[in-house]
Amino acid sequence: MNIQDNYLKNKRNIFFSENKDIQNHREKLINIFQNDRFDKKNNESLKNVNLKNFIDFNYKYLNPEETSVINNNKENSYSIVSVNGQCSSFKDDKIEIIKILDEDYNDFSKNNTIENNDHFVNLNSLFLNSGFKILIKKNNNIKIKISNIVTDDDLTIFQKNNFICEEGSSLNLIEEYENKNNSMSNILNVINLEKNSYLKHFLIQDNSPNHNLIITSHSSCKKDSSYTQKIYNFSEGYVRNFHYSELIETNSEVDLQGIFFLKDNNTSNNKTFVKHLAEDCKSNQVYKGILSDRSKATYFSNTYVDQVAQKTEGYQLSKGILLSDNASYFSKPELKIYADDVKCSHGSTIGPIDENAIFYLRSRGMSKIAATKILISSFINEELNSIDNEQMSEIIQKKLVRYLSKVK
Amino acid sequence: MNSETLNTLDTYSKNKYKYGFVTDIDNEKSKKGLNEDTIRFISLKKNEPDWMLEWRLKSYSKWKKMKQPKWANLNFPEINYQDIYYYSAPKGFEKKPKNLSEVDPKLIETYNKLGIPLEEQKVLAGVAVDVVFDSVSVATTYKGELEKLGIIFCSIGEAIQKHPDLIKKYLGSVIPPGDHSFSALNSAVFTDGSFVYIPEGVKCPMELSTYFRINAENTGQFERTLIIADKGSYVSYLEGCTAPKRDDNQLHAANVELIALEDAEIKYSTVQNWYPGDEDGKGGIYNFVTKRGLCAGKNSKISWTQVETGSAITWKYPSCILKGDNSIGEFYSVAITNNFQQADTGTKMTHIGKNTKSKIISKGISLGKSQNTYRGEVSFLRKADKARNYTQCDSLLVGNQCGAHTVPYIDSKNNTAVIEHEASTSKINEDQLYYCRQRGLSHEEAVSLIVNGFCKQVLQELPMEFAVEAQKLVSISLEGSVG
Repeated sequence: MNIQDNYLKNKRNIFFSENKDIQNHREKLINIFQNDRFDKKNNESLKNVNLKNFIDFNYKYLNPEETSVINNNKENSYSIVSVNGQCSSFKDDKIEIIKILDEDYNDFSKNNTIENNDHFVNLNSLFLNSGFKILIKKNNNIKIKISNIVTDDDLTIFQKNNFICEEGSSLNLIEEYENKNNSMSNILNVINLEKNSYLKHFLIQDNSPNHNLIITSHSSCKKDSSYTQKIYNFSEGYVRNFHYSELIETNSEVDLQGIFFLKDNNTSNNKTFVKHLAEDCKSNQVYKGILSDRSKATYFSNTYVDQVAQKTEGYQLSKGILLSDNASYFSKPELKIYADDVKCSHGSTIGPIDENAIFYLRSRGMSKIAATKILISSFINEELNSIDNEQMSEIIQKKLVRYLSKVK
Repeated sequence: MNSETLNTLDTYSKNKYKYGFVTDIDNEKSKKGLNEDTIRFISLKKNEPDWMLEWRLKSYSKWKKMKQPKWANLNFPEINYQDIYYYSAPKGFEKKPKNLSEVDPKLIETYNKLGIPLEEQKVLAGVAVDVVFDSVSVATTYKGELEKLGIIFCSIGEAIQKHPDLIKKYLGSVIPPGDHSFSALNSAVFTDGSFVYIPEGVKCPMELSTYFRINAENTGQFERTLIIADKGSYVSYLEGCTAPKRDDNQLHAANVELIALEDAEIKYSTVQNWYPGDEDGKGGIYNFVTKRGLCAGKNSKISWTQVETGSAITWKYPSCILKGDNSIGEFYSVAITNNFQQADTGTKMTHIGKNTKSKIISKGISLGKSQNTYRGEVSFLRKADKARNYTQCDSLLVGNQCGAHTVPYIDSKNNTAVIEHEASTSKINEDQLYYCRQRGLSHEEAVSLIVNGFCKQVLQELPMEFAVEAQKLVSISLEGSVG
């Protein structure tokens, strides 16, 4: 079934299909699909993607039976269970959680600059069926943990979330994606950081082979704000992590980090895009990948420095280890710079595990596998050590051990 | 920026292009426009055998179906292929002159102005030159001496007639006419260029060199160069380019193919100084060049060195296909853009054989309102065991109206191959500048010194004759834009 028929057939179940503006916008999106036809040749973000799963899908969505729970166990910490992309509303003097509104949809479709060439974001807008909005009120310091659960097989979830940190607030956000059933989630996180706010965002992805996860985030940082994102991808199914960031006012910072562990026939597509639109901003993009068996990965990173964005510092680093003959890694670290007083750099390496290091360890009596495991752990040690949350660090260590146990 | 810098900027931004003169020689041109008749006309003028004409026509039919590649970061109006003369020759060149005394003295004068060692200078410099003027190869010096060694160095037109076997075997083998629209265009209408064949085991004793010049108005230059280094041979080849000042944009779409067989080495150096257009971005050459080398045999080596200072638009990616085991590909590049120039240049290293190595050093300097892009692809195919690549691309920005971009593509499909890539972008270090000024250098000299240092890694790869010229060229291009 083509996308247009699919949309028309399921229109009733999709959010905001009564709203005229949104209808018009969606019609435009359908036009884009029809003109472009997912042309892989001219859209590198579709490289290695098995498009059939994502274009030719059976739309199915179930409203969660159980309303999702919010526990306020400690004073400033909340844990949220989002079921099929929805969670119940909540309000106190520090945070507010509500269902996503059509005005949020409009805001995003008006302001976003990524939509035309990112088909997965367009699909998200077209079939939107869930999502919520979390607002952190002024000058609060909050911890939130969100578990994302999909209840049934064959569900197609299109979710838009909106995170807003008001002036002077800070948020420590942990999101878990651990799904065992055969379904697809297409999630867009829109993140707005007001003046002097701070968001630290962890994403742990550990899905079974039949769950496809597409996460896109779009963050914009105002004056003196800072956004840090750390992604740990242990999924056995397809994962796409695309993260766009805009530094719109001075002295803001963004730090996008990711580690992915791939095996079997798995594929992962990653992209980070930082736009420096104001003076004195900093950005950092670090992605590391370990690929074994027949796995494939792509990583696109892009730093754009506008003419006004003097005194910019922008760094990129991508590293890949190929453990098998049949694994492949494609990386494209791009710099686009229109201002002169900048410090920008990128580095990229792809290769096997250093043979000399293996030799050293083996000459001390270690088996080859043990040596390989040690070197893989040390490859990502820096990222693991930088986790300041003990509970998180433990979870990730466990997952790492599980991955390493399967390395041959 | 301080006021001094602004002043210097002002003084030199009207930087004169000293090769911008026109030589007033009668030209014989084909009719404007591109169609089968034009191609037949060119083929007839060049007295080509039928198989060559057929090859051209086939390429032309491919070109008709193709679209111009769009991925480059360049912005220019669509090229009207029907508004260009595809053949232009100084009159009286249908029959080649036997020696230099038969060449039009005005032409010789032009080359003297350009400082080309054609007469006396050739002895001093020891350079064998093949000069291509618009579409016709004028004279090839030093031919006799090279012949003694069995080296063939002549224009491609001559090679088509005298060495059809080599041409049939190798022409289009590295850059197939159907590769992209510019290669198809060139294959259809190429007019002249150089042909070099180095026989087995011969080390070419001197640097071979070609000088290209576009003289006539509204002409395109489509040269085709083919260099074959047989087993165990070595050759160093130099190429230089200039064009007169014109208000219109002129098209230049060249194809260069290199083939290195077992144990052979080819070193290819270019100093490209086509007319870049005036300070308002009017005129200038559109330079769409396809250069590709094939390391066909074991232990072969191809090394590209380029200094790109001219052209309104540069679209150029000298590449290496590392097919033979242990083969080596190198790419050294300095690209300087000023005023409204746009450059999208880089390389493509395709590792196919085992133990293949490649090295890329690229330095980009953007001044004025120019855009400078490095675009490079390094790919390791499945069989490229133990392949190795090192890439370094640095950009320097001078002024806040220009742009510097880096777009590397890195693709590894082999788990024993190692790839390293690093890049940096920054402006001229204030401390270094301060240090030089303190020692009595003017602002301008200091910048020139620092930039020359920045490019050193590449410039030192150039052969002696070129290194001096290139260094001067770098200083000239910089003049005035220092900040």
